[in-house]
Amino acid sequence: MAYKPQFYPGSTSVGINRRKHMSGNLEKLRDIPEADVTAIMGHRAPGADYSSTHPPLKEMGEPDCPVRQLVAPTAGAAAGDRVRYSQWTDSMYFAPSTPYWRSYWGAINCKGCDPGTLSGRQIIEARERDIEAYTKAQYDSEMTDVALCSMRGCTVHGHSLRLEENGMQFDMLARTEMGKDGNVYAVKDQVGIPLDKKVNLGKPMTEAEAKKRTTIFRADGVPMCGAVGARKYDEAVEALHHMWELRSKWGFRPE
Amino acid sequence: MVTESDTESIQVEIVPSRFLMPASAQKLLNEIYGNGGLIRIMIHGPNLPRSVPYGPGRGAPIDENRDLLIEVGGQAFELCVKVGRIRLELESAKFYDGLKAACERALPISFQIRRGKFFHTRQTITDYAKFGKVEDTRILGLIDPRAKKDRLAILSEERVTIDDEER
Repeated sequence: MAYKPQFYPGSTSVGINRRKHMSGNLEKLRDIPEADVTAIMGHRAPGADYSSTHPPLKEMGEPDCPVRQLVAPTAGAAAGDRVRYSQWTDSMYFAPSTPYWRSYWGAINCKGCDPGTLSGRQIIEARERDIEAYTKAQYDSEMTDVALCSMRGCTVHGHSLRLEENGMQFDMLARTEMGKDGNVYAVKDQVGIPLDKKVNLGKPMTEAEAKKRTTIFRADGVPMCGAVGARKYDEAVEALHHMWELRSKWGFRPE
Repeated sequence: MVTESDTESIQVEIVPSRFLMPASAQKLLNEIYGNGGLIRIMIHGPNLPRSVPYGPGRGAPIDENRDLLIEVGGQAFELCVKVGRIRLELESAKFYDGLKAACERALPISFQIRRGKFFHTRQTITDYAKFGKVEDTRILGLIDPRAKKDRLAILSEERVTIDDEER
């Protein structure tokens, strides 16, 4: 029987969603054009050339190395692109993803990337054409709700604040706005420089939908222990206790 | 058992479950003002800078945060924060129920309202550094200690004074 990776324990909806994020088996909810994703990232104008740090690998004449022969370079690495980043902020109010799960998704599913996890934001660095593809994948999939998640290169605070009256995550720099038609528009790039044209990101999730897709355990949503009052805790807690115990005893050898 | 005096001033905090848009904030403040009995009031929330404070886009204007004028009791002033919390002092406890009803009328979302002690009574070092010796103790507790200058809008019968810097 072929090996099937197991990503996360538990039978709660959050456990199932966490498995989906880690496995990369995500539902596609929207299709934002590549040029618009590039514009929101703000590293280069859509259609402009990629800046590079070294010549394409084919022209460089690489040393004879078994690992290089084994591993095919990503498109960005083969072309010698600069390393760029995209950074996300996800609201604590039932955003579909969280920094840890964006990082798990990146580390498991995206080749040649460097995810960085912080308390309120999550950054992925990779070669420019790779990071553009990874960012588009995040934007288009159920990892992102356009009201509760946004790309913020700086001034990221907002994840732990209350939402605005219209259900948007608070953003000091007003990078996204709720249109009169109920769609969310990106009006600035991730560092707060106005875009030439507004980018329609589509409609946000309803509160019920966000709660259904979230990877956040919360006492007022799905608690980590599973159903309240159940005879047995959810497997996620058992696994956590197990790991915690091993971690605490790590290297401890009473002799 | 100590019987509560209904002639002493009381302090109240109102926390809506979401940040308020300027229009809702104006409606709420007008309802609170209309209820009467107000000694002082402070609105609190995250800062709304007028330009990008740092990063590659530093200095780019944020038009959404400019000219957020609201009119309270016939006087207009500019909002510098996203309204997330309101603390106020009432002349006596008899205005409390009216205040609660005013919030229910004005706010389209749920909110918490509670009595307590929210303004300090003694001068802090920050107060002293900014104002010297404060004669009118009503402004204690209304100042943002982290702002570079004092950020305070004083609405009086005669005029509006706003002391604020562009950040």
